[in-house]
Amino acid sequence: MLTFSPQAIADLQRDLLAFLPELVLCAAIVLMLLIRLFPATGRTHLGGLALLAVGGALVVAWLQWTRSGSLPLPDTSVRYFTGLLAYDSLTVFLRLFLLGFVALAIVLTFFTHIPDSEDSGDFYVLLLGGTVGMMLMASANHLLMVYMAVEMASLPSYALVGFTKGRRASSEAALKYVVYGGGAAGVMLYGISLVAGRFGTGSLTDVAQGVGAALATGTLDVPLALGLAFIFIGLAFKLSAVPFHFWCPDVFEGAPAEIGAFLSVASKGAAMALAGRLVLAFAAVAPEQAALAFAPVLALFAAVTATFGNLAAYSQTNLKRLLAYSTIAHAGYMMMALACVNTEGMSAVLFYLVTYLFTNLGAFAVIALIRNRTGSEDLSAYAGLVYTAPGLVVAMGVFLLSLLGLPPLAGFAGKFVIFSAVYHAAADASRPWLAQIYWALFVIGGLNTVISAVYYVRALKVMVIDKPPEGVGDRRVPFAAGSYAAILAMLVFVLGIAWNMLSVASERGTASFPAPKATVAAKG
Amino acid sequence: MSPMTLTPYLWLGAFLFTCGVVCMATKRNAVGVLMGVELVLNGANINFLAFARFNPAFAMEGQVFALFTIVLAAAEAAIALAIVLSFYNNHGTVDVDAAEELRG
Repeated sequence: MLTFSPQAIADLQRDLLAFLPELVLCAAIVLMLLIRLFPATGRTHLGGLALLAVGGALVVAWLQWTRSGSLPLPDTSVRYFTGLLAYDSLTVFLRLFLLGFVALAIVLTFFTHIPDSEDSGDFYVLLLGGTVGMMLMASANHLLMVYMAVEMASLPSYALVGFTKGRRASSEAALKYVVYGGGAAGVMLYGISLVAGRFGTGSLTDVAQGVGAALATGTLDVPLALGLAFIFIGLAFKLSAVPFHFWCPDVFEGAPAEIGAFLSVASKGAAMALAGRLVLAFAAVAPEQAALAFAPVLALFAAVTATFGNLAAYSQTNLKRLLAYSTIAHAGYMMMALACVNTEGMSAVLFYLVTYLFTNLGAFAVIALIRNRTGSEDLSAYAGLVYTAPGLVVAMGVFLLSLLGLPPLAGFAGKFVIFSAVYHAAADASRPWLAQIYWALFVIGGLNTVISAVYYVRALKVMVIDKPPEGVGDRRVPFAAGSYAAILAMLVFVLGIAWNMLSVASERGTASFPAPKATVAAKG
Repeated sequence: MSPMTLTPYLWLGAFLFTCGVVCMATKRNAVGVLMGVELVLNGANINFLAFARFNPAFAMEGQVFALFTIVLAAAEAAIALAIVLSFYNNHGTVDVDAAEELRG
């Protein structure tokens, strides 16, 4: 008979406790699938149950964050499930971020009625399944888990994009997403096979050791470099970094606005966390070499992505498409912080993600609410909106100006934190040419903010100054839905003024990674 | 006959990968593109199994990698074919060039 040592059982217990938020979501998914089997309950709207599950997982994650009860959160990163996953403050920060976002998104679906009772089971199962995948992306510590998590986050997203089956645009967007996404995931897996085979293990810790040693001795051979490049192509696709962004505008235009918000906030957040974890894992082993190798590449991608996103957004007439390009640009800003290759940069990414959550969710919420009234997402459908729904225009103005980064809104705080991380990286750079790269990045970031003002303000101008089009219906939204947008707008405002708490939390989010300065000091 | 070494297997994996990428890039039929994706995944699988065969330390891990990849490939094919069917219902074709209404 198979017996387990007390140690193994204790380990399993610890691992399951660390994994509890994901387990809650998994249980809810199974429950939702079962409920639909019974004729009596088959057609009930399952949004309440989904919200309850996400709330429960959120409470567990919060207890982990505050180290309450028997859910300890160690100071250093702990590997669990035989090293497949990492349990540290970054894991839990991303859990709170993702669960918080999904809870707000589920509340939004109550107001926009995008899944009706008939389809609600499918919709929320896919939504929660994708969320579990994204939470795994944020905690993956093994290349197998990286691939599994990326696929687990992607597959439900493909289906959600095509959720409104009868719409031509929706099915086209889903086809483009699944074809490009499947291709990118395949390329990523091939890269993983090269890297894992080369080191004889998929564990990120060991792979980082191996790559760090190869970087330090200058023996990075072609298969290894190719493997790493393929892995980063897969990640760049999820991040919608130029030149792997082409799916993003089409998918956002074709998908329902609620799903657009999910892809632009949750999916980007998980991909950022995964990319950051990879970069910091390399930086922890060989900080100097990692900075020299990764910073120029990441900086180049960040600069091109932000600039392209902002320039392409300029000529858009569909508001969702405009926000898709704005999402690409914001991914560029976050990659600028990632290019610092240190914990300050990663903390800035975490901070930015939270400000971006409220801002972008709010913007997509307004789009969804107006779509329900007018059936259109074109900018022209918003002309003169201020005469019929002034409150909604004020809320949308707050969101757009926050995306632009105007003080005193949350977007300003986020940009400030990112630019200051880049500034510090420039001041601390170990080589003059590296410092110049960071200075260039700093200037490009500033210029991009100025360019982006043009299209955000133009969208506002259409709503406030243009005459309402002929024959447009009643565009007033229900009071409850309007107050949802108002609350998000207020949060954007509050976060832009009182961001000390978030700043402390985002610093704690990367506390389990060694601070680069300490490592350098120990060497010198 | 000399015993097989690792290199020929890796060449086979690379060949399958290249075929898959070419297939994804040139096929206009959506199902053809998906077959290209499958080729890429199987190229990676051959790598995993070859490494597992020739590196005892990677023996177990490599095979587990391959198993999970097979399962995920099946899941991805199921989703992708469902989406292709939905596209066919709306457009009456599975030609990816017909997916051109979203642009700008």
